[in-house]
Amino acid sequence: MALAFILSPLLVIAAGGMLLMLAEAFAKPGRRGGLALGATMIFAAGFAFSIGVWMYGVEDVPERAMLAPWLQIDRFTIFFDAVLCLGGALAALLAGGYLPEHELERGEFYVLLLFATVGAMMLAAAGDVLIVFLGLETMSIGAYAITAFRRTSPRSAEGALKYFLLGAFAAALLLYGFALLYGATGHTDLAGIGEAVKKGGEKTPMMMIALVLVLVGLLFKVSAVPFHMWTPDAYEGAPTPATTYMAAVVKAGGFAMLLRVLLTCFGDKASMSWAAGWPPALAWIAVITMTVANLVAGQQESVKRMLAYSSIAHAGYLLVGVVACMHSPSQGVSSVLFYLLTYTVSTAGAFGALIYCGSRGKEAVTYEDLAGIGRRHPPAALAFSLFLISLAGLPPTAGFFGKWFVFRAAIDSGFYALTVVAFLNSVIGVYYYLRVMVFMYMREPAAGAPVATPMRSGYVTAALLLSAILVILLGIVPNQSLDMAIKAASVFGG
Amino acid sequence: MIPVEYYVALSAILFTIGGIGFLVRRNVLVTLMSIEIMLNAVNVAFVAFNRNRTDAHTGQIFGFFLIAAEAAEVAVGLAIVLSLFRVRRTVRSDEADLLKN
Repeated sequence: MALAFILSPLLVIAAGGMLLMLAEAFAKPGRRGGLALGATMIFAAGFAFSIGVWMYGVEDVPERAMLAPWLQIDRFTIFFDAVLCLGGALAALLAGGYLPEHELERGEFYVLLLFATVGAMMLAAAGDVLIVFLGLETMSIGAYAITAFRRTSPRSAEGALKYFLLGAFAAALLLYGFALLYGATGHTDLAGIGEAVKKGGEKTPMMMIALVLVLVGLLFKVSAVPFHMWTPDAYEGAPTPATTYMAAVVKAGGFAMLLRVLLTCFGDKASMSWAAGWPPALAWIAVITMTVANLVAGQQESVKRMLAYSSIAHAGYLLVGVVACMHSPSQGVSSVLFYLLTYTVSTAGAFGALIYCGSRGKEAVTYEDLAGIGRRHPPAALAFSLFLISLAGLPPTAGFFGKWFVFRAAIDSGFYALTVVAFLNSVIGVYYYLRVMVFMYMREPAAGAPVATPMRSGYVTAALLLSAILVILLGIVPNQSLDMAIKAASVFGG
Repeated sequence: MIPVEYYVALSAILFTIGGIGFLVRRNVLVTLMSIEIMLNAVNVAFVAFNRNRTDAHTGQIFGFFLIAAEAAEVAVGLAIVLSLFRVRRTVRSDEADLLKN
């Protein structure tokens, strides 16, 4: 029983996905509106079970050993389960408004959301490269399918194709890295690989190649520059709820995998040192990611594409937190976890506001589409502004504390230059986030130009309200969730 | 008995061929095949390395999982290629260029 209980977040989402698939098959056409509600309820149940397991505590459950080494259910996993369910619920709510509005209402979207989330949760719990691989494929296959969901649109197909090809290529690189690690150490469980790497001392060429392949594969998945080429295209081509899902859940799943693999397999002194390990490579990639993404984001005409580049830039800030793990894994990981929580609610809210601002045939795509919306539809503009302020990292929103803790982790670890670069980058970020607000509040649409009209949907309103409340709450009283992040990060010791 | 190193070399060669094919060719179907070659290289490597560990069959079991999961992945990939072909009448990745900066 205890075993089923500590696995319950994962089981609830998986079983819920299968039930929803049955419900979709037997539902009468035209009566599928309830599916979005069903999916949201399942995500909410998954979230509630994660909180329940968290309160109960997993350390003293002896059955946990039965899952080892395949699955590791610890506080790190449970924290991610909660964040992933939250992101999934927001995406499902947004889909509930978006899909009927744009005549894409097909039930498999929600089912795919649920199954992809199971994959992401497996990544957070992975204790073996086999589970990493299975979780990654489960998550990615769902994400490819929802990207290609608008079947009549060439843009949707093109975005999905680029996503699929580069995603499969990255998976192949990652797997070859795992195969070489297996050859070098004789282990497929992450802890065993970590032990062998620690004992091995001097790195063999095979080990170095394996480390490089694994790193490149992981960075592809979290869309760090220069492995980000697929991101803007996939984000722009996909239906916006799918983009929300990719920006929130898939990115969180990618970072869960990155932290698990890097800190368990390559968490020894030598691999974590500045002279002979991965931190300098990641630090440079973080710098390039933030800088390139922020500079390119400022030049975009499409708001959706700007938000795609902004999500790449946020991957850069998160990598700063990962680099900070070099000196203090617990502080670095906790800052990354908290940042992911704040980023999930802010980015889901921002995409949600973009969905809210447009209705069928009158979608909000470019900056000009949003001109004057502050006067015509104050609630839409107000919500959008709140999420943009949070993404920019200004107080009193969630994004401010997210950045604050990541930067502080970097400073405490002595990465002053890296922190300065990250700070300057977030200043550049403010420019293009505020540009949206300038258009919303200070411009009027040109005469005869198509005007975006906000949609009417209880689902989208609910999603916006939920993320707005969380953005403000996390921005005013971050203590409790930060304590949870710190507790979750203590899994990695030190 | 053929030494393990030979198999590892074979898998490295296969992986390189697949990687080059992925980067050079512009026909999406050929690109998909290149990815498959890379994944087969992974399989060969896992099974070959299992020779050093006769006490467990982890590498070989990994091979089965890999084959199954890849079949699922390619099914989705081919569906995406088909839907691109239906709307654009092309399977070349350089002609899919609607999304740009």
